[in-house]
Amino acid sequence: MNIDIKYISKLARIKIEDDKFEKFEKDMQSIVDMVENLPEINEELTIDRNNAMKLREDVAETNKFTRAELMKNAPMVQAGCLVVPKTVE
Amino acid sequence: MELYNKSAAELSAMLKNKECSAVEITESVMSRAEAVDGDVNAYITLCKESALEKAKAVDAAIAEGKELGALAGIPIGIKDNISTKGIKTTCASKMLENYEPPFNATVIDRVNANDMVITGKLNMDEFAMGSSTENSYFKKTLNPHGLDRVPGGSSGGSAAAVAARECIVALGSDTGGSIRQPASYCGVIGLKPTYSSVSRYGLVAFASSLDQIGPLGTSVKDVAMLQSAICGYDKMDATSAYRDYPDFAALLSTDVTGLKIGIPEEYYGEGIDAAVKTSVMNAVRELEKKGAVVKNISLPSTSYAINAYYIISSAEASSNLARFDGVKYGYRAEDYDSLVDMYEKTRSEGFGDEVKRRIMLGTFVLSSGYYDAYYKTAKLLQRKIKQEFADAFSEVDVIITPTAPSKAFRIGENTDNPLKMYAADVCTVPINIAGLPAMSIPCGDDNGMPLGMQIIGKDFSEQTLFNTAYAYENIMGGNLCKMPEIK
Amino acid sequence: MNNNYEMVVGLEVHAELNTDSKIYCSCKNAFGLEVNSQVCPICMGMPGTLPTLNEKVVEYAIKMGHALNCKINGVCKQDRKNYFYPDLPKAYQISQAEVPLCENGHLDVMVDGKVKSIGVTRIHIEEDAGKLLHDDSFAGSLVDLNRCGVPLIEIVSEPDIRSSAEAKAYLETIKSILQYINISDCKMQEGSIRCDVNVSVHKIGEPFGTRCEMKNVNSFSAAIRGIEYEAKRQIEVLENGGTVEQETRRWDDVKGESVVMRTKENANDYRYFPEPDLLTIVVEDETIEKLRAEIPELPNAKLVRYVNELGISQSDASVIAESVDKANYFDAAVALKKCTAKGICKWLLGDISSLINETGIILSDFALTPEKLADLVAIIESGAISNAAGKTVFETILQEGGEVKDIVEKKGLAQNSNTDELEAIAKAVLAENEKSVADFKGGKTNALGFLVGQCMKASKGKANPGMMKEIVARMLEEQ
Repeated sequence: MNIDIKYISKLARIKIEDDKFEKFEKDMQSIVDMVENLPEINEELTIDRNNAMKLREDVAETNKFTRAELMKNAPMVQAGCLVVPKTVE
Repeated sequence: MELYNKSAAELSAMLKNKECSAVEITESVMSRAEAVDGDVNAYITLCKESALEKAKAVDAAIAEGKELGALAGIPIGIKDNISTKGIKTTCASKMLENYEPPFNATVIDRVNANDMVITGKLNMDEFAMGSSTENSYFKKTLNPHGLDRVPGGSSGGSAAAVAARECIVALGSDTGGSIRQPASYCGVIGLKPTYSSVSRYGLVAFASSLDQIGPLGTSVKDVAMLQSAICGYDKMDATSAYRDYPDFAALLSTDVTGLKIGIPEEYYGEGIDAAVKTSVMNAVRELEKKGAVVKNISLPSTSYAINAYYIISSAEASSNLARFDGVKYGYRAEDYDSLVDMYEKTRSEGFGDEVKRRIMLGTFVLSSGYYDAYYKTAKLLQRKIKQEFADAFSEVDVIITPTAPSKAFRIGENTDNPLKMYAADVCTVPINIAGLPAMSIPCGDDNGMPLGMQIIGKDFSEQTLFNTAYAYENIMGGNLCKMPEIK
Repeated sequence: MNNNYEMVVGLEVHAELNTDSKIYCSCKNAFGLEVNSQVCPICMGMPGTLPTLNEKVVEYAIKMGHALNCKINGVCKQDRKNYFYPDLPKAYQISQAEVPLCENGHLDVMVDGKVKSIGVTRIHIEEDAGKLLHDDSFAGSLVDLNRCGVPLIEIVSEPDIRSSAEAKAYLETIKSILQYINISDCKMQEGSIRCDVNVSVHKIGEPFGTRCEMKNVNSFSAAIRGIEYEAKRQIEVLENGGTVEQETRRWDDVKGESVVMRTKENANDYRYFPEPDLLTIVVEDETIEKLRAEIPELPNAKLVRYVNELGISQSDASVIAESVDKANYFDAAVALKKCTAKGICKWLLGDISSLINETGIILSDFALTPEKLADLVAIIESGAISNAAGKTVFETILQEGGEVKDIVEKKGLAQNSNTDELEAIAKAVLAENEKSVADFKGGKTNALGFLVGQCMKASKGKANPGMMKEIVARMLEEQ
């Protein structure tokens, strides 16, 4: 199947530079061609009951982290908040 | 012999008998690292000061007569995708160049609880995607056994550092062979534990359903000791198995009488170098001489495993790496005129080409209209592969295969061809797909470059793997990991 | 609305659950605290962190499933919904796609005195996102992640709703059920319950039309306004020869209109896939049944019972049924079978409700217990005391306590229902008020009231007013 790089890059929020586009597209298509070589398996995926997880008890813990620690790595902070370009959906 | 050239088990005994101090061990390893890392480039961050401080604390505790664990004072290197509080954890990416986690991964807490000495953070392929460590944003790690060759990947820094004795043991992570393949290329021992046996909390995720942290070292006992230290249930990781584990090192045995070894024909076919096949089969014959029983088996879906692997791992990666958007941590592009523009520039500038390819592939296989053909089929194939292994393990105790199709390739040899690079993982990915434990141990060389054999076991059979490896190590005179001449 | 058309509405209600901790981490689940103070590496989506599912979230969702008559999927999983937005730190929301925890249910609501059954497609669990704060004084938007990981259930209805009145009944019933089973605070102003609305219209007798989804509906009244607006808009489009486009619209409650957010072509491709950081959710049948047993009689069932079995009007019955406290009190009093349910209702929605509004008393520790109210209503209904005397008993109990019977006795509140004595009083009063008697005969019927009043006064208020009136009327006729 053909991969529509323009559509996928929009979904993935990754822009491919114009001068790299052709090579990138070619590489991607060859990877897609490789991975799509799969046998046909006419079965359904089922949820594995035996792969159950332990759930967490509902106990609130006092926060072990200060806001400053958590925001230390943030590129832009103002008034205790992360800052992004003006956004209204 | 220099302290840095000893095993953890030997150093542990020396510490106990007061033949050396923890500071002396750490100093020896640090000066070794300073001497050779200019060539090897294994470390992204070397933590000399904090390492010496920790070593001093260990010596003080010993002086006070405190009962310490067997790994106390042992220098350990950490792959740079394992979160270390206050120490940069870059994943070898521009995206996380300056990222300092505010918390420790669970394995780091366990390493600390065992009073081990963290030497620093080791190079890797960016976000663990690659088979040569050439995808690091910072530098290329070279193979200590041949500086014109790659150390393998993605835990290339971990394998190279252990091989060059820049640390005594190391932690790596393995999603499709990322511990075993570099262990094979660098001539060291590496274990990919059973999925769910080691907590993933704090391991920066590549493919959540396949990732496992595991140990690397120069002796089977060291690897067994480190595995005992890091494995176990963790309530912070919902996928971690709720069970107990034996003291692997204490139960090591060289007795392989009656051990049934399966040899799957699919792993010895086209694409595997003759030198590799010969070395692995010679090793198997040695085990057979000691009483092991060799049996030919078949794992028919093997050739499809790599395709299923790239679909599943990339799908998960595309989602796991979406959080790197320039908002909460890490790199943010300089100029942008909207939120979407900020996202796109940040991610395009912050990620390298291989990471972009995986994200794009993963996004594609999950996108509307393609999910069933790719992701769902790959998951069905995964179920089939698991079943084939389960059937095989009803007849044999371990399966032995080559770890990689060849010795380490040359720097730059495969960088322009993703498919050729992917082929380096052909022997290791099926094991991640099946969730099984497997280790790579050195079993000879090809013109001086190490070769590795892969020992695969059923779920939670690490002890059997260790014992098989221990038996072979014993046959070979007790030391499988030759000290490289770094030149 | 144009009578040739019918609207078809489906609703997606998101309710925040009132657990102590968040859904995937141990952060406190609390509202209104300082920005980014209830956050940890997990809900902030830091690299390497992993989710652990809160067991209470699963239990609460199953309870709601029982309340809405759903099939419970004791074996299910979680999925990732992938999209980029600054309030979603991981860039995916952990939700449930193919197999929700609960599905195939229905909710019976009462509209215009009739029961209407509305299908419930599914209930699933998921995490809430953070909040974007906008301030003109700053060039960017600010992100507060406190709400990230607050547990949500999403309740999706079938497109069974045919009017805004039905939508209103559905939403209000959902809300009161959430409160009855105590799994959500339902504070609209805090956004703890929100809904998305799907609306289409079609000419009666014709197939369903194309639907539009409306987001950003922050209150139930806004939902009703939005539904009415949207149906009207679509009818206008059709009447003008146009076609309704499938699209997502944003409701602007201030302007009272919806605007296009995205068209079908730009629909999100969420790339759902199973959450690999979580394993299978397995809830044993035993637990599912235990949770079922914890579900009390629900407000919608109570409403139907009050109207159909007890003869209470729908409006009164709604007021009682919607409040857990009132309904419990009412049910306890009615269950004693000492008096009529209507009599209980009158007092509960009259004097008692006024008292609740004025003084904020709590019914569960109210001095006038359901037993005492039943005694009081019973004694009034028997004719032994008057309504006015009843109020005296009511006030006395509130102030001093005591039993109804004792108070009536001590205060001498019993009414006189002795025919001979009442006739004697009437005779005397009529004799003293010849003019009024003459007025009555001359056609001034309101003279009757005056005369009865005089008789009551003469009895010092103790005469049974019904009997007194009957006797005076009879004597006037006979004269």
